[in-house]
Amino acid sequence: MANTKLLIIDDDPDYVDGIKSILEKAKYQVDAAYNPKDGIEALKSGNYDLLLLDIMMGRGAEGVMVARKINKDPKLREMPVLIITGIREQMAFLFPGQPAHPRLLPTDELLEKPVDPDLLLEKVDSLLKEAAGKKEEGA
Amino acid sequence: MATKPTFRQEISNLLYASHGDPFSNCIQCGTCSGTCPVAEFMDEPPRRLIGMINANMKEEVLDCNTYWFCASCYHCTVRCPSNIDIASVMYAVKRYSIWHKTYSDELVGPVFSETFMKTVAHNGKSYEPILATTYLFGFGAKEFFQEVQGATRMMLKGRIPVLPSKIKHLKNFQKMIKRIVPIGEET
Ligand code: SF4
Ligand code: SF4
Repeated sequence: MANTKLLIIDDDPDYVDGIKSILEKAKYQVDAAYNPKDGIEALKSGNYDLLLLDIMMGRGAEGVMVARKINKDPKLREMPVLIITGIREQMAFLFPGQPAHPRLLPTDELLEKPVDPDLLLEKVDSLLKEAAGKKEEGA
Repeated sequence: MATKPTFRQEISNLLYASHGDPFSNCIQCGTCSGTCPVAEFMDEPPRRLIGMINANMKEEVLDCNTYWFCASCYHCTVRCPSNIDIASVMYAVKRYSIWHKTYSDELVGPVFSETFMKTVAHNGKSYEPILATTYLFGFGAKEFFQEVQGATRMMLKGRIPVLPSKIKHLKNFQKMIKRIVPIGEET
């Protein structure tokens, strides 16, 4: 797992510190980007096995813009993405009676903030395994 | 990899879509404060707020009422010699406060903006009688009844609609919002 590289794109530095330390304890190699622009640059230059993506950044839901960019890139869209979202984004826009779990990418999985450490590790592990399985299928 | 951002950088990240905001170029000329119609009611005038953000005075910035009192008139933005969009910085600090829930429960601003957005998402436009209730209860009993009496008179005269009206092609409008904001599929 020491060679498994994860990237977090989230604008909340304290939050990033939190999940980073959970993941590092589990021996993942973790990088962080604090805004969508740095995040996209990091994704293009580094070879990441999984992305943890925040939705509410910048002027609003700029995480969605990141997801759309990833979706357009044939290589990046193969990468599993764990969308970590807080109830804050459901506050203003939610249409009553509708679920707040959008599917933005073919690979994504959603986790609510605040994140339970065990659940985080479980989801990361299962997404990585699923991606590895797909790679083998393709090979 | 990226180092942990300071408060100044966090606020700058909240303005990312406009590729940051050059508020670190502030020359403290005070044009914004001089031009601001609300400055006298603010704990800190706009010039000082920009200075405080640049000095990473996070607690002091979040504690003051300046950004909640900003009326978004954009006078400061238009006049700033350093091309700083001060009104947008005010919005960025509002977002910071709402997203991190640093505001106090009595504060009307966040509830007001939430109600506003929900009403617009629902009807395609705002409906004042619903909005008014978000701050009405903050008034004393006397002012409360004065407001209600005034509103009732305006309703009777047809100046305020009794029921919220909806825009034409509301479904299309809601579809557009759903393209922009991630919300669930229709059930
Ligand atoms: S007008 Fe612009 S440069 Fe002058 S104090 Fe205000 S923000 Fe700073
Ligand atoms: S936009 Fe806000 S800070 Fe600027 S002049 Fe208007 S009320 Fe004052």
